[in-house]
Amino acid sequence: MGIDDAFDAFQKTVNEDIDKTRLARERRDLFKTALLSEPDVVETFGSGSLSRSTQLKPIHDVDVVIVYDPDEHPEWGNDGPSAQDALEHARTQVNRLLSQTNGTHANEVRHTLVRNHAVKCFLDDPEDPEAFTVDVMAALRQEDGSLLIPEKLNTRWVPANPEYLIGQVADHQRDWPHFRPLVRVLKQWRLTAPVQGRIKSLVMEVLALNCMPRFGNRSQALKTFFTAAAVRVHEGVWDPAGLCGQIQPDLDHAGLSDAFTDAADLAERACAAAAEGDTDNALRLWQKIFGDDFPAPAAPAKPASLITGTPALITARPIKDAPQG
Amino acid sequence: MLILIPQSAAAIMRSSGPWGRLSLRINHPERFAVVRGLSERGDGIFPVEPPPEHRLLGSYPPVSTGWWCRVHADLHLMWLALSARRGMLMKLDAFKAAVPNGYKAPGDPGYWAITHAPGLKDAYPEHNLPDLVAWHVTREGAQPISVSVEPEATGICQLKDHWPVHELQNTRIMLIGAGSIGSATAHALAGYGIGHLTLVDPDRLDWHNLVRHTSARRHIGRSKVTALAEDLAALRPDTTVTPWALDVIEHADQIRALLADTHLVVCTADGVAPRRVTGHLARRAGLTAVLACVLQDGALGEILRLRPWPQHGCLTCRRQSLAQAGGLDPEPALDAGYGTGTRHRPMTAVGSDLHLVAQLAAKTAVATILERAGHPDQRLPGEHALLGLRRQPDWAPPFDLGHTAELRWLPATPPISGCPTCEAP
Ligand SMILES: [Zn+2]
Repeated sequence: MGIDDAFDAFQKTVNEDIDKTRLARERRDLFKTALLSEPDVVETFGSGSLSRSTQLKPIHDVDVVIVYDPDEHPEWGNDGPSAQDALEHARTQVNRLLSQTNGTHANEVRHTLVRNHAVKCFLDDPEDPEAFTVDVMAALRQEDGSLLIPEKLNTRWVPANPEYLIGQVADHQRDWPHFRPLVRVLKQWRLTAPVQGRIKSLVMEVLALNCMPRFGNRSQALKTFFTAAAVRVHEGVWDPAGLCGQIQPDLDHAGLSDAFTDAADLAERACAAAAEGDTDNALRLWQKIFGDDFPAPAAPAKPASLITGTPALITARPIKDAPQG
Repeated sequence: MLILIPQSAAAIMRSSGPWGRLSLRINHPERFAVVRGLSERGDGIFPVEPPPEHRLLGSYPPVSTGWWCRVHADLHLMWLALSARRGMLMKLDAFKAAVPNGYKAPGDPGYWAITHAPGLKDAYPEHNLPDLVAWHVTREGAQPISVSVEPEATGICQLKDHWPVHELQNTRIMLIGAGSIGSATAHALAGYGIGHLTLVDPDRLDWHNLVRHTSARRHIGRSKVTALAEDLAALRPDTTVTPWALDVIEHADQIRALLADTHLVVCTADGVAPRRVTGHLARRAGLTAVLACVLQDGALGEILRLRPWPQHGCLTCRRQSLAQAGGLDPEPALDAGYGTGTRHRPMTAVGSDLHLVAQLAAKTAVATILERAGHPDQRLPGEHALLGLRRQPDWAPPFDLGHTAELRWLPATPPISGCPTCEAP
């Protein structure tokens, strides 16, 4: 198996299956259409990783943003109780339009909960292991095109620009077709990275935007990504739109940098092995990074090198005596 | 003999024809010449030279002394065969037979000829023959002459398949300090292909600087940054240089504004205070600073990489850690306060030792840029390098290098609590 084939096969294990993605898109569109019929709604759009096609399996939630007409809600946008009011308003609309028992548009929503930023809408049987929610966010459009989003707990409205990230991801993808698939691969990788605490998936997505090249094959690109990300994670990972600040201030920056450095070492050796024509060793090294779902031949029983102290996976290469002055 | 053919002359001989006259500037003692003009057929000669500042052999008069013509590809194969054997001539009849148009019989002194053989690549793909070669044609025969055709690209882009030229051409580095280490650092950074250098130093080049500085005597009295900018423009045209005769302490506000457009700062300034200010400004701007100096009167080279990261201390914190460990003795006489005390001790290091430190500083800066851009082959082993220049016994750790030319890399030390630079304002 060649390197490209192996990446293709591995990608299949990372991608959400097509039926699940289709169901998620249907739900998103159902909410968009239903809420757009309301007189105080100006526009609706999908946000989150599904809208950027960088979702990781399993899908946990689908984000839908409802942009309201400020003239219909003049009190919204000011800090205070209006933050919660807006979320409660959206929840009432969802229930009226889509409730399983008496929705006027469809009968899909079993129940709803108002969370800090969104109304969480449950559609599946609670026993369903593949259940996922639709998260409805209320928003007001600001003059500069960005949004104001209510925050229930802090009783305030905060600026955000989810469409900026959607645009950035689409732009990168236009330049380089491996971008979105590899973001999913990296989000998967993060789940096994040896760091303190969790890593938000958005952290990986923004690092990928900053550190992933726009050309080359996947091996070279990942080598570049891991090397650059090991440095840049120290600088903090910030909202690309420049509105929401650091994405995860409590991130284990040093731990994640170390994990990236280890992956960069392996990726560099994998690229060197591939350049030497040693595809089997290259695949084994990629497997060390991505785990057993990455296809690779079994490691040879005996290390190929007789030189002690060299890594068992790869043969030390002698230097050619071809001096240049 | 060697004949140099500028790009513009080569283009005319390749695109027009079949023959014309040739005008050369010839340096007889050093036995080489450059094409300064040519004609098409018997028309007047027109010049093919660059403007005077880039002109070769500009002080030698142009001499109308030969011909150029289009020839059969076989002639260049003969040129190659004859060139390999000293003193061999080609019979005039054979030369004449290879020139379908515009052959000139030689007079008494003979003449120079440049021949162009189109379609060589197709005729002899395995020989990699030059399509332009030169001859000295006399009544005895034609003697092959070496030529050098100016290539289309002569800058850093020649290395683009082997070195990340594109990334570095888009990199902007500020260099604070244009003295002995600084001038050599600027040359080294330009040699790596850094696209833009901002030079900051308030000093003028003085007599006593010549022994260690990269700039020549003719620049004495000028500000070091303008002299250096001029030298670099001549030597490394791929690097644009902006000189600022400013003091990093006195003009900190201007420097701060310039940092908004900078990717990395290198500081090669003398004394503690300018280094501290540079480190502070860089950290506030979120930039890495690379500080280079020699210690112990030039016995020891030192590179410090100051990253604007939470776990990495600033210069003051890093120095304090070393002092607490007994490795470093702060010198209270230096920078006792702005405007008091001596700014620095007299320089005692030899120029090339300083330039060695400068090369390492430039490599550190470039490696920092490239690692961040994703090049794993440019990762450095640490944040603090010590280089033995004139090793002496009994230096305290970590300065206890065993030998000259020994290079030791150490990690960063963390910020010390209460530090006004390290802790966010
Ligand atoms: Zn500090």
